[in-house]
Amino acid sequence: MGSSRPLADLVERHRPELLRYLVRLLGNEHDAQDACQDALLRAHRAFARLAPESNARAWLYRIATNSARNHARRRGRRQGRTVDVDVDGLPAAGGRSAEQDEQLRAVTQAVQTLPPRQRAALMLRQFQGLAYGEIALSLGGSEAGARANVYQALKKLRAALGDSR
Amino acid sequence: MKAQDDALIAVLLGDAKPSQALARWLATPSGRRELAAYRQTLATLQQRYGEVRASAAGGVVYYCSLPSPIGRVLVAASDTGLVRVSFRLTEAAFAADLREQLGAEPVRSASHTADIVHQLRAYFAGERRAFDVRLDLRHVSPFQRRVLMAAASVPAGQVVSYGEIARRIGQPRGSRAVGQALGHNPIPIVIPCHRVIAAGGRIGGYGGGLPTKRKLLRLEGALAATG
Repeated sequence: MGSSRPLADLVERHRPELLRYLVRLLGNEHDAQDACQDALLRAHRAFARLAPESNARAWLYRIATNSARNHARRRGRRQGRTVDVDVDGLPAAGGRSAEQDEQLRAVTQAVQTLPPRQRAALMLRQFQGLAYGEIALSLGGSEAGARANVYQALKKLRAALGDSR
Repeated sequence: MKAQDDALIAVLLGDAKPSQALARWLATPSGRRELAAYRQTLATLQQRYGEVRASAAGGVVYYCSLPSPIGRVLVAASDTGLVRVSFRLTEAAFAADLREQLGAEPVRSASHTADIVHQLRAYFAGERRAFDVRLDLRHVSPFQRRVLMAAASVPAGQVVSYGEIARRIGQPRGSRAVGQALGHNPIPIVIPCHRVIAAGGRIGGYGGGLPTKRKLLRLEGALAATG
């Protein structure tokens, strides 16, 4: 397979960030590893059809996003169900006040109940460093749509924090 | 207040500059409250999702330390290339950063870092003026990468201004962003951000401290020995 080397390079370069993205989407490393494995397998199968001039990073994020969605579906953890939020398992659990814990819990809960597309757009924008145009390539739709998804997500998170401050 | 929310989010995310209408709203009690609430939202989001554990994500990264005129220097290299240089952290903090920021397992190894250590020794001894080493800039944003590569093209013995770097990357009004990108240079010395100084010949800032910046420039002959 003469064409497998560029894919190997591509995967090596982007695997860490894809895995972190999947941890953000799925909430834990175990599920993220599974979904990442699955995504890279799909990438391998589809690589031959990737046009040379296309944005390979956005393409990988599209595959990873789909894998995360399938993964969540398979496990029957559709969004909207109650989710356990283990705030104590988060980094730096020691130095937080009860109020900060409450805010972390509220935001985490709100993130997990966002529509999948909004959650994905938010993570891609805030943590994966994708521009709106690349988010549109990854999730489908327009650049303006990608931006609207990020803004909608933030408005919901802000509402989840409430006014109790 | 949907339109105001959108305008506020746009400003907070750096998508737009504040309009006069937004500025007026932010001066009102409800505007102030929403600004604080959105800032809190972003900060909480960052705290929860900014650093996620993905232990095996980045594979292995090899690190080592060497003594130098500016103190102990720590270097780390992935299979792709040199990924970190630091002279401010303890070894334990450096290893923790590698794990946290790169999601990689830090492994102390003199053999995997021998080449760059050798080049750095020669540089500090005044026997080498340029580095020949592969860099791993996968964890750096495209903008910062452009800034770093522009800084990397400044030869030893010379200095340029932040504004000049901004011009070279085609963003002539971006010298502040350039300063920030250089301030977060993950591979200082080898990517010589110390050769970028403020306008008018002032020395500007340096993540590693101004005395270190002066020392490096003196070593390269860009600053008089007494400067």
